[in-house]
Amino acid sequence: MAGVAGGNDFQWCFSQVKGAIDEDVAEADIISTVEFNYSGELLATGDKGGRVVIFQHEQESKNRPHLRGEYNVYSTFQSHEPEFDYLKSLEIEEKINKIRWLPQQNAAHFLLSTNDKTIKLWKISERDKRAEGYNLKDEDGRLRDPFRITSLRVPVLMPMDLMVEASPRRIFANAHTYHINSISVNSDHETYLSADDLRINLWHMEITDRSFNIVDIKPANMEELTEVITAAECHPHQCNVFVYSSSKGTIRLCDMRAAALCDRHSKFFEEPEDPSSRSFFSEIISSISDVKFSHSGRYMMTRDYLSVKVWDLNMENRPVETYQVHEYLRSKLCSLYENDCIFDKFECCWNGSDSAIMTGSYNNFFRMFDRNTRRDITLEASRESSKPRATLKPRKVSTGGKRKKDEISVDSLDFNKKILHTAWHPKDNVIAVAATNNLYIFQDKIN
Amino acid sequence: MECAFEAQNLISISLRKIQSSRTQRGGIKLHKNLLVTYVLRNARQFYVSKNLQTQRTHQYEDVAAVRERQEYFELTGSLTELSDDFYCNFTGVESDTWQCGAHQHNGQPAEVAHQDASACAMLSTSDSDLMVSDACWSCADKSPWELPIQNAQANQKTVLDLDTHVVTTVTNGYFHSDCCAQSKQPQGAQCYAKKRKMDTSYHIVDPEFYLPDFGLVPCKRMRTDDELHSDSEQLDSTNISNLISVLGSGGLSEFVSWQQTDLEQIFAAQTICLKHTLLTGSGWTRAIEAF
Repeated sequence: MAGVAGGNDFQWCFSQVKGAIDEDVAEADIISTVEFNYSGELLATGDKGGRVVIFQHEQESKNRPHLRGEYNVYSTFQSHEPEFDYLKSLEIEEKINKIRWLPQQNAAHFLLSTNDKTIKLWKISERDKRAEGYNLKDEDGRLRDPFRITSLRVPVLMPMDLMVEASPRRIFANAHTYHINSISVNSDHETYLSADDLRINLWHMEITDRSFNIVDIKPANMEELTEVITAAECHPHQCNVFVYSSSKGTIRLCDMRAAALCDRHSKFFEEPEDPSSRSFFSEIISSISDVKFSHSGRYMMTRDYLSVKVWDLNMENRPVETYQVHEYLRSKLCSLYENDCIFDKFECCWNGSDSAIMTGSYNNFFRMFDRNTRRDITLEASRESSKPRATLKPRKVSTGGKRKKDEISVDSLDFNKKILHTAWHPKDNVIAVAATNNLYIFQDKIN
Repeated sequence: MECAFEAQNLISISLRKIQSSRTQRGGIKLHKNLLVTYVLRNARQFYVSKNLQTQRTHQYEDVAAVRERQEYFELTGSLTELSDDFYCNFTGVESDTWQCGAHQHNGQPAEVAHQDASACAMLSTSDSDLMVSDACWSCADKSPWELPIQNAQANQKTVLDLDTHVVTTVTNGYFHSDCCAQSKQPQGAQCYAKKRKMDTSYHIVDPEFYLPDFGLVPCKRMRTDDELHSDSEQLDSTNISNLISVLGSGGLSEFVSWQQTDLEQIFAAQTICLKHTLLTGSGWTRAIEAF
């Protein structure tokens, strides 16, 4: 697979943009999660309004074989509704925090979607035939008078317009006191884990009325609370291994074979803090917002506020690679604290071959890092550069006194335009970038 | 001095965030509020340690002057100095000497020699808003983050009034109804701090921002006529009905309890008991308690 960018043989170009163009963005339409399925054929998005939209990749056009097909809407359904916990007088948001696809085992597709409290298993299936010629009911569905039936016939399947149905098959509820931040499907394809601020539960897909609590970091005295769980993920190949990150910037790898309750980690990943960089906000910027295993399973990647780090699972004392996403924000932390941007939780993702990583930033910028060449690039998801097959121009943020042409100064960055969620196709160089209420799809242009 | 000013700003901003988080949709975000408490802790530690260093070389008041006000003050010298120091430096201007307008027995502002600037120079020359210069960290051979906090007691709480946006203290149920911020111009000994409202630009909080680590008994401040008048204007229209505890004396117990109990139970379990006899008609409609 080609690298990130910059070479003569690889460039990113605009493919599609989904979503309204209106300047007035409804909060419910803000995309809160993006996920490709295992084959890359389907792309799911969840939004703050509890809605899930699934896009399907169309086959390449015969007329333009050099271009990949487009993603078109495949299914839309309301996954979660707002709820109210009367006992605790709390409103439960319908915002979709995470979507995770299950490996496809038959014609239907399954995905898990979760809000703060409840996880749901959805089945997305196609129907392109329907039975006609029932004996007991008319074509419009009305029951026929049994006394008027004089003969029997065998119903036949007739083709119909393709209809995609989404139906909730399982609802996993009432297992989390705190806000769910992660779900992850295990490699055994039978279990999955869900993590909230203080606990991680292990579920079986078929059992909804109970789950196993495998991590519990809630202290006996809450006044002693010093950290929370921020993300968790199952190992891609070893079904007994999972990791979870914390607000203190640490990652713990646990082996479920060791004990029923995995409070004692098998490995503890932490990079010592640089005392010279200590500030009022050290704890905030060191909090890990996302953790992702590489496809190979040998590495994992963590995202904190200013950087992305790649860890070798065999080395716990420091990451093997560190990439600065927007170091120029370090001097702006006070302002970012005031406007709450410092609490933004950026996600990160690997490409299919684990040779590149991607994460978002502000001003609708997103960053890619090539692990082999150590080159990085900043691109922008904007309507202005959304012409079909238009090549994306690298962007640069000016940090010094003199600003070059086409550079943007730090003070000009729009912190309301943030890219928190990105996804990389598991096989091809196709990326999905969520910019507020718009979903941008970019692909490589092979010259 | 800018760093101390920023620390105070951060404290007020953080308290506001905690207060607003309680009304956010979806309930209190444990993660975010935990991070906010870290900022609060860092800012508080920095501010307290800075003043501890200042007090070590600060010239104390005449003993007689202290006795004269004994019946009105129950503060120890360190707490008085803390409020003075806050008071004196609220303009945030770095200076080798500063005008200290409070607690001078002769009624005149006195110049107080600034301690060794190299030891406590807080003005950062870096681009960072809140990075502290190396000199600060080397104060007293210890980082301000590490200086011990004296006389920590859990019965003093710093409270943010949600209506008047004034930060003050409640100690053992005694509400400092006469806590008020001084005007920006340093004044003589007879004019004590007036309450200062926090506006959107986050002016410095009340100089009687007693930090619980000093663990001192509350005081009844001697008030001037001007001060009383000012207080009545600010507080006349408010009535205390609830005091909402955000943080316990040391932790996040309230967050958990909010997740699990009714809000009314929380109100009933408050440790702060307002003494209405001290309030003399003034009060809050709502207040938020931290530390």
